Amino acid sequence: MNAGRLAKHSTLWLATLAALIPVYTMVSASLRTQKAFLDSPLGLPTSPTLHGYRAALSDSFPRWLANSMLLTVSSVVVTLVLATLAAWGLSRWEFRLRDTLLSAIVALMVVPPVVLVVPLFLLGVELDLINTFWLVIAIYVGLMLPFSIYLLTSYFRTLPVSLFEAAIVDGATSFGVFRRIALPLSAAPLITLAVVNVLWVWNELLIALVFLQSDDSRTLMAGLTAFQNRYNLDIPVVMAGLSLATLPIVGLYLIGQRWFLRGLVAGSVKGE
Amino acid sequence: MVRRTPLRICAALLALAAVMLTAFGATAGARPQASTTLVMWWWGDQEAAGLKGFVAASIKRYEAAHPEIKIKAVLQSTDNLLPNFAAASKAKKGPDIIYRWGGIWSLQDAWDGNLAPLSDYLGKGEMSHYLNAGEETFDGKVWTAPWYLQPSFPVLYRKDVLKKAGIASAPKSWTELMSACKALRAKNITPMAGGIKDGWFGGWLYSILGSQSISSIDDVKKAVTGTQKFSDPNQAAWWTKLQEMVTNRCWNDDIGSKELYQAQQDWSDGKAAMTITAGTDVRKFVKAGGGANVGLMAMPSYGKGIGAGKLGATSQTLGVSSFSSHKQEAADFIKYFHTPAQLTGFYKATGALPADDRFNSAVVTVPQIKQLFALAKKGGPYLENFIPTDLDAKANFANAQLIFAGKLTGKQAADDTEKKMARIRLLQPKLIANFKKWYAQ
Amino acid sequence: MVRPVDATRAARRRKGAPRGRALEPLLWIAPALAAIAFVFGYALYRLVIEATHRDGVGVGLDNLRIVWSDPPFRTAIGHNLRLLVTLPVISGIALLLAVLLFEGLRGWKLHRVALFIPYLLPVPVVGVLFGQFLTLHGQLNSLLDALGLHALALDWLGNPDLALRSLAGVIIWKELGFGVILFLARLLSLSTDPYDAARVDGAGWWRLHWHISLPQLRSIIGFYFVIEGVTLFAWVFNYVYVMTRGGPGDATQVAETYIYDNATTANLPWLAASGAVVLLGGFIALAAVALLVRLALTRRGSAA
Repeated sequence: MNAGRLAKHSTLWLATLAALIPVYTMVSASLRTQKAFLDSPLGLPTSPTLHGYRAALSDSFPRWLANSMLLTVSSVVVTLVLATLAAWGLSRWEFRLRDTLLSAIVALMVVPPVVLVVPLFLLGVELDLINTFWLVIAIYVGLMLPFSIYLLTSYFRTLPVSLFEAAIVDGATSFGVFRRIALPLSAAPLITLAVVNVLWVWNELLIALVFLQSDDSRTLMAGLTAFQNRYNLDIPVVMAGLSLATLPIVGLYLIGQRWFLRGLVAGSVKGE
Repeated sequence: MVRRTPLRICAALLALAAVMLTAFGATAGARPQASTTLVMWWWGDQEAAGLKGFVAASIKRYEAAHPEIKIKAVLQSTDNLLPNFAAASKAKKGPDIIYRWGGIWSLQDAWDGNLAPLSDYLGKGEMSHYLNAGEETFDGKVWTAPWYLQPSFPVLYRKDVLKKAGIASAPKSWTELMSACKALRAKNITPMAGGIKDGWFGGWLYSILGSQSISSIDDVKKAVTGTQKFSDPNQAAWWTKLQEMVTNRCWNDDIGSKELYQAQQDWSDGKAAMTITAGTDVRKFVKAGGGANVGLMAMPSYGKGIGAGKLGATSQTLGVSSFSSHKQEAADFIKYFHTPAQLTGFYKATGALPADDRFNSAVVTVPQIKQLFALAKKGGPYLENFIPTDLDAKANFANAQLIFAGKLTGKQAADDTEKKMARIRLLQPKLIANFKKWYAQ
Repeated sequence: MVRPVDATRAARRRKGAPRGRALEPLLWIAPALAAIAFVFGYALYRLVIEATHRDGVGVGLDNLRIVWSDPPFRTAIGHNLRLLVTLPVISGIALLLAVLLFEGLRGWKLHRVALFIPYLLPVPVVGVLFGQFLTLHGQLNSLLDALGLHALALDWLGNPDLALRSLAGVIIWKELGFGVILFLARLLSLSTDPYDAARVDGAGWWRLHWHISLPQLRSIIGFYFVIEGVTLFAWVFNYVYVMTRGGPGDATQVAETYIYDNATTANLPWLAASGAVVLLGGFIALAAVALLVRLALTRRGSAA
């Protein structure tokens, strides 16, 4: 192997190790005792124990997990429904304000959520909706819609109109064209959109922290930050919590690798 | 093939979500049925080991004696104690009973209208037995009820570790403390273990060291309202002394990486000679440090101020929220903690001293706690309770972190504290007005 | 390339298909519009109201003036800008790794999976993990000690001079995977002819990629810049909140934590709202600049 190849392999291995070592320490620490961890933070779990996982699971962890799942499923489903309908409206017809409307919606993609937190929190207090899921779902849906509409509109516009024309000639209604022709053809972008949005809601912290403050309503990510504080004297428990929080996503990735990668690339390719 | 399924799946998921939502009943705070349910948000198990069990047992006893009352106690994490109640107060929905530290930490909520004045429900007579109730007295009312004493804050030292450096008895003066640091460092031993990563230790240090150079709490009050300055020599001295401790390497090297409780753990593990703990925690640390091996003292003093050689006298309190629909019942439960059996039980469970002059101190047998009790009775003012909480966080916490990192001199820290206080005076005039009223009474 | 809709749009016009009437499409768009109007429209409207009032009294632009001259706010924005400086670093490393993977060395698929894993992890998980990993006696320093690099075992998060850079490092660690996958996907979609021709001409590794790969990646690099720029400027709350809370001192304070702190602990909603308005304004400006840069790159790319 010449120097060039050696350099290339070394670089890749260096990067891979840098990527994996922190994850390894997370999992390995989760299987040890606090004492063992403090003595040698990098060591292998020579006598693995599940006390970290047991402590995490007997705490509010399951509750937080359920909350996150509920929020994720509800908000993503609503987003997909609304986005699909809106994207159809923005692609099938031509009308005067269409492109302005679409541009305005797409521009909203880059508004930082922190900007919206203060006014919406004040509203939530006035309407007594703090610590309820309704308000948070509404906010998440609003935040996910611009990108979702953008993606689906671009996709719908690539569908050949001749298909729709043919269906109309056969007597289909406008809604029928949408339901029987456009939707089934959109399985791929819908799934990738679902994946991207699920990731986003699952990871979200700021809004969850501000709007869901009671221990009962807390999401997994917000709970993790409180968890870190609660168990700062027992790091393995914290690491176990982290590992548990990562499992669903890693599982999702292993099952749906294709959609994952496609979802991430999709927005960018369309965005050029 | 894929035609109907996506829509069906969507519909099913939506239905499932709807069912789950109603089932989970989104709002916090229980809906009272035939009986009355009290919700208590509290803290304290973190600084008084055993308190969680005691609270649970007390609730059981109280519920047995009062079948129409149900009590739900939720332990808060340190970081969430304040924000959670702030949010609940804005929403006017939340706990009936809320735990508050003393002084400004209670009064801030009183000024914001989040608390019901407890003396209206318990009576001034009853509350006259509660120690340090003066800290939460405002406008002729006592706003929260002292629950347990927090002697703030003793220095615990390990005789075995001191001996390793040839130190026979604990340092009594400031100069002795500095030489002790040098001697311990010469033997590669950490003199004092502390943790500033989460900031709270900064407030502790301010109260301990800052009180050694001022002549009375009025100096602090004047600095807040503007007739004195936090950069004046008597107020600034402690920053320079803290810097001196850092220069003499009195503290652990990883103080910036460690949270307060984590650093105390190091002392328990024998990795440091001294540490500072909550007075309520002394029993736990005496045990961890080897019983008679552990000595207790007030921080050695560099000055002759009001706090020199003393501990800060303050109590942690319980209050009733202004939006509670069961204020009297909540107050009655708080009063229950002050019945004789509860007072003794409190000490037995936690090793912490209840804030009631009816407590029979004969039950205290641990010598270090006896010593603590004596010190607590003639304590000085606890400074942190008398300044705006925002100043505490932005000046004491933040600048202490920078001093430990060697990035700030004592003088710079003091000047910055005054700047931050000026900023608060500019941005929060209503708060300053309340402070003036508080100080004037 | 003529998009299908363009061709059929002309056809539709010939057949007199629906156009001009906005009613039916608006029915489809309405629900989504309602949600957007609520979340963005109401919020931005309310934000402006909050930013122009104080204690119930209208104060015009006075709050904005106060925020603009508030030292903690300036420090925070300064940190946001400093974080932006890491953009070229992230892009450069991602490019390098993508190119290396593209070359199809033995085991490249394994590397691709490994490099993507950090991006999968939720930000709060990454934050808590590195909060432990980077302590003075944490895993990173243990590793450095084991490798004999004790001099490098610093207080990554506790030292105010290092904290912001450590934060940037963690963000880079996580965001890299996205760039790698993005660039790699693009590279894999390119035709191999130019490469073969250049190799025949004896071009070395560096010249190969500089003259062939890079020009064709211009627009996607631009896109990555925008996405990561947005992230670094206004989506770092998760990292800071979990790892340092703005400390030590205010070494890692950013605009988002400034707004959050003022809205919650300091209980100064008007200050938080004003900060948010300024942030939004700065953000729009930055986004415009980024968009222009991207347009310029695309134009140069398609002209090349």
